[in-house]
Amino acid sequence: MHSDFAPVVVAVAQRCLRRGYGAAGVPAGVRTGIVLVSASGDLASARHVRETVEAGGRIGPLFFFQSVPNSVAGHLAARWDLRGPVVCLSPTGDPYTDGVAEANLLRDDGDADEVLLILIEQAPDGPTEAVAVLLGGGARP
Amino acid sequence: MVEARVAQLTGLYAVSALGRGVDAQLAGVLAGVAAFGPVGRFDTAARRVTVAATLPEVGTLPDELAAAIDAACQGAGLDRAQRTGCALLLAVHGGPASGVGPAALASQLAARCGLSGHTRVYTSACVSASTAVADAAAQITRGDVERVVVAAGYLVESDQFALFDAGRALAVDGAVRPFSAGRRGLLLGDGVAAVVLESSAGRRRGVDPVATVVGWGRAGDAFHPCQPEPGGSGLARAVDGALRRAGLPPQAVGYVNANATGTAQSDAAEAAALRRALGGYATQVPVSSTKSVHGHALEASGLLELVVTALALRHGELPVNAGWLAQDEACPLNVVTNRPQETEATHALTLNAAFGGANTALLVGVG
Repeated sequence: MHSDFAPVVVAVAQRCLRRGYGAAGVPAGVRTGIVLVSASGDLASARHVRETVEAGGRIGPLFFFQSVPNSVAGHLAARWDLRGPVVCLSPTGDPYTDGVAEANLLRDDGDADEVLLILIEQAPDGPTEAVAVLLGGGARP
Repeated sequence: MVEARVAQLTGLYAVSALGRGVDAQLAGVLAGVAAFGPVGRFDTAARRVTVAATLPEVGTLPDELAAAIDAACQGAGLDRAQRTGCALLLAVHGGPASGVGPAALASQLAARCGLSGHTRVYTSACVSASTAVADAAAQITRGDVERVVVAAGYLVESDQFALFDAGRALAVDGAVRPFSAGRRGLLLGDGVAAVVLESSAGRRRGVDPVATVVGWGRAGDAFHPCQPEPGGSGLARAVDGALRRAGLPPQAVGYVNANATGTAQSDAAEAAALRRALGGYATQVPVSSTKSVHGHALEASGLLELVVTALALRHGELPVNAGWLAQDEACPLNVVTNRPQETEATHALTLNAAFGGANTALLVGVG
């Protein structure tokens, strides 16, 4: 495995959703959007692709399927039946503030009832850090 | 009487393999001649597919984006002083672009182009730009802001090309054939675009809006990391949202610029979505995918396609779906083939879908 980006996203998101909804999952009819905020994106995979292309090599097909942060959001959406919008942002200011602003817009505009906000940063030589928060939902930990 | 707030497109600009500027885009999509050719920008020797739709003389992505934003602002009649306080929503790939990260790129573009409002960068793959437009329209119509510039860019480069090639997503026959029998996949294409969206401020300056974004919708499939839900449920809900916001019935839609990438399952899922959202009218409304001529511009695709959709609607001719071979029974749609179709329609949908089951629908109106 070249990158812990997707597994870490899944880990924090599932922990958050379980605290919010337990085994029952998101109630039917609730449209949960996903807002994923990351400046780094999947840095480890992007570096592997860059180095492989630079060397004239071929990339494994798995890298295509996880080449954008939407993919892991789609994985979560499928597993938890999250039918709201999927939006990925690269923060231009404080990541949490950016994410909350987008989540509020989606909720106020009516395409989402609640939003799973995920913040993740993959450092070049340090640990990957992530946080997940459920915004606007009826259920709370 | 209080004037209803709307989101008007007062300035448009786009660059693609069809050429530079809005006239080149309109002429290109009406001509229906695909712009795909051998890639000379980087080595494709190790790839299965070696073609894309690229513009020969192209600058760096930051330079092309800055030029597009300036051109769109000029089209909207915005001088430097009038751009003050204007927000910039940018859609680009999440990785470093030309050595600079997305946030730094947005900051540089805002400074270069005199936009001092808030910035936001969308990295939601192929719905990045269309999500940005939906967000801009929402912010304007609810009165948060008066004016937003949405810009988006993707220039075909070696890493994404290699990834799409590795995923066997590229058409090995060198043609994009949306909704057609015998379609083999997508091909990438350059796309840089910028639009000015504003409330009725444009009219007050004496600017005639090109079109109005009258409806929008965003919805998820909740199905798979990369594949669309075969029944098109998420995309249909996005279309429902766009029609509901516009207060229009399906029969008001006179054209659909489909997401259709030329991929077997995705195009069939989109046809199912149209059937679900538009009912029996789905087999009547003229449909084409302009990706068949300018290629798939990934993060920028939604904005390039919004530009050509608005231009075509205003011009009164609907773009050709190039690469057509024969009807596919999985896609029972009224596809515009052979030649552009004259229209008096006043509303059109432009649809986009992405990995993660992300879907958007934008509904534009003219007249």
